Amino acid sequence: MRPSATAARILLACVLASGLAGCSPSQADNEIVVQRFFGLCEAQYGGNTDVAAANGECGIMTSLINKFAAENPDLKVRVNTVPWPGYDQLASQIVTNNVPDVVTMHLSVIADFQSRGLLEPMDEGLRAVGVESTDFTDVSLKGVTKQGRTFGMPYDTWAPLWHINLNYFRQAGLMQDGKPVLPTSPEELLEQARRFKKKTGKPYFVQILSNERQMFARNLYTYLMQQNASFFADPERIHLQSAEARRVTNLFKSIYVEDLTTKNQDYGAALNAFLNGAGGVYLGGTWLISDFDLESSKPDRPLSGGYTVVMYPQLYPGRDAVFADGHAWVMPVKKRTSAQRRGVFRFLEFLAEHNGEWARTGHLPATKAAIGSAAFQALPYRSNIAKLGAIGTPLPAAVRRQFVVNDIVGEESGAAIMGQKSIDDALVNAELRVESLMKNLP
Amino acid sequence: MKAWHPLVDRLLLAAVIALALLMLAPLLWAVALSLKSNAELTVDTYSVLHGPYTLQNYQHVLLGSSVLRWVANSLLVSLAMTAGVLVLSSLAGYGFARVNFPGRNLLFVLVLCGLAVPEQAVLLARHRLFTEWGLHNTFQGLVFPGLSMSFGVFLMTQYFRAIPTTLDEAAAIDHASRFKVFWRVLLPLTWPAQATLGIFTFLGAWNDYWWPLVTATDQRMYTLTVGIASTQNNFAETMGLGYLMAQAVLASLPILLVYLFFQRFIVRAVQDLAAK
Repeated sequence: MRPSATAARILLACVLASGLAGCSPSQADNEIVVQRFFGLCEAQYGGNTDVAAANGECGIMTSLINKFAAENPDLKVRVNTVPWPGYDQLASQIVTNNVPDVVTMHLSVIADFQSRGLLEPMDEGLRAVGVESTDFTDVSLKGVTKQGRTFGMPYDTWAPLWHINLNYFRQAGLMQDGKPVLPTSPEELLEQARRFKKKTGKPYFVQILSNERQMFARNLYTYLMQQNASFFADPERIHLQSAEARRVTNLFKSIYVEDLTTKNQDYGAALNAFLNGAGGVYLGGTWLISDFDLESSKPDRPLSGGYTVVMYPQLYPGRDAVFADGHAWVMPVKKRTSAQRRGVFRFLEFLAEHNGEWARTGHLPATKAAIGSAAFQALPYRSNIAKLGAIGTPLPAAVRRQFVVNDIVGEESGAAIMGQKSIDDALVNAELRVESLMKNLP
Repeated sequence: MKAWHPLVDRLLLAAVIALALLMLAPLLWAVALSLKSNAELTVDTYSVLHGPYTLQNYQHVLLGSSVLRWVANSLLVSLAMTAGVLVLSSLAGYGFARVNFPGRNLLFVLVLCGLAVPEQAVLLARHRLFTEWGLHNTFQGLVFPGLSMSFGVFLMTQYFRAIPTTLDEAAAIDHASRFKVFWRVLLPLTWPAQATLGIFTFLGAWNDYWWPLVTATDQRMYTLTVGIASTQNNFAETMGLGYLMAQAVLASLPILLVYLFFQRFIVRAVQDLAAK
């Protein structure tokens, strides 16, 4: 058998085409490259400029950028959507000197790039377009401020929350004056969870326990913060071999062992389970509020007319705190034309002005004006979480590689909660692994 | 050979069918998800087991997304890489099998060492090199790394070695040049090896994620794997599952066609690889 001449020609044509098509895309002088995650939704919102008509992170962000581009025809806006969270790509772009102009970044990641001198301070540029640091909430500003300078424009704060099925709470007798009765101590939590299970036959919690690390870490951090535990006093070392950490891990282990939580569910399964009435409290982020609210408006569903959301209840008498992170817009160091620089700050000014629109995603807006606006207050349940801007607490800014640290802490914490290793072993391992990570950082 | 008891035969058949269904299940699940509305799937993924079904996700993918562009990028990259690997591996294989030159064995050992080096080990060095050459966000940047395929050179060398040298000698007596011997006499005999190498190179290039993720950072240069990853709306894609699956199904079509058209070659390729 001989190779077909046609096939050979096609292959050859491809080699030639790949060579001819090899020019790297370039950037025009009046073009700004906006790099973001939040996904792609071109089919629904590709040409939409009516922000009020858009929904979800992707829809609202796409529409905001479309609107800005339409209102600024002298500027060319190119959007580069990256696979979440996009930091491998950004690192690659920085090395290859193919850097976007403005990029979405988690507050917890800013230190990684800023500490290596890869981000531009933005104080003067923002001030020049009328965006002042005093416009932002404490928690969001803390996330972008390093060594007294602002390395990003905060856009939102998010935190894990308690999403509650009030219909089950009512059935369990855990309602008072139309509000859910929430625990004020670990003992009360266990007592209420047992009562809930007895009355409803359902577990108190719906949790993501499979293929998950971050949630375990967020729970641990929140309840360590509430005990005033200083677990990152040295940003190079985490301190988890403490009575406080054992207490929190033990609490979640008891919940697991006593079947007071759903088990073996990943993110999608746990979400489905809560929507279908598998339990009373779903531990999840701010971004789910709109979807759960929508579900509660439908008839004959487990959440019908019976949904609310609250911040993590204070179980320990230390301080009112909840672990929080957020999104910001940063400017990687890059040579820009004056038109590009002006364009970037015009874009940021526009985004700051429309921060309230972003609140519809469920995230807490970063600007005080947006939080104080009537539109925000009119959004369902937002008053329940408005305090987040004051009590939300990120990890210390000097802690590097926070995503990886959270993965390590979450993995070890999860292993202890689900009985794969002892609590002491897990906490020691978490400490050692974080220490090893930090030691090997450049 | 003693025939198996009919009952054993049936049991084996049943086991094979059960395993085949088990393998097919995730694929069928993906197709079914792609035919459901995103809103319905957010509430309950088991809604795939009943109607209503919709083609809206496919409509969105085909009419308003970048998927077709990414498919074209992936096709170009995969075909170019396949062509390049076939040409280079054949030439190198012929050289190692038939041409005596100083240091041949040492060079061959060095090529074989390449089999033991994982891609991750050379990623940083390659990335820096491509930065120097300005090859990121280009098709060459996506294709070139795949061309240096130690396995391909090894496979083709073994194939050429297995062909009797008397064929070369007979052609030489007929005054055939070395290139003519390679092109007209030996290369056609390596067609099964070419098919094996071509199919596996194409599949590898099509499914590659890691290198395209860091070299094709411009959305216009994404290959399909990176492009689909970038469309995910939120964590775990709970809000746009149907749309994501529609993209995945469409993305699999070219590879499915490769399997359909080259089925017998793929089977033989696997057998040949086992024999080697």
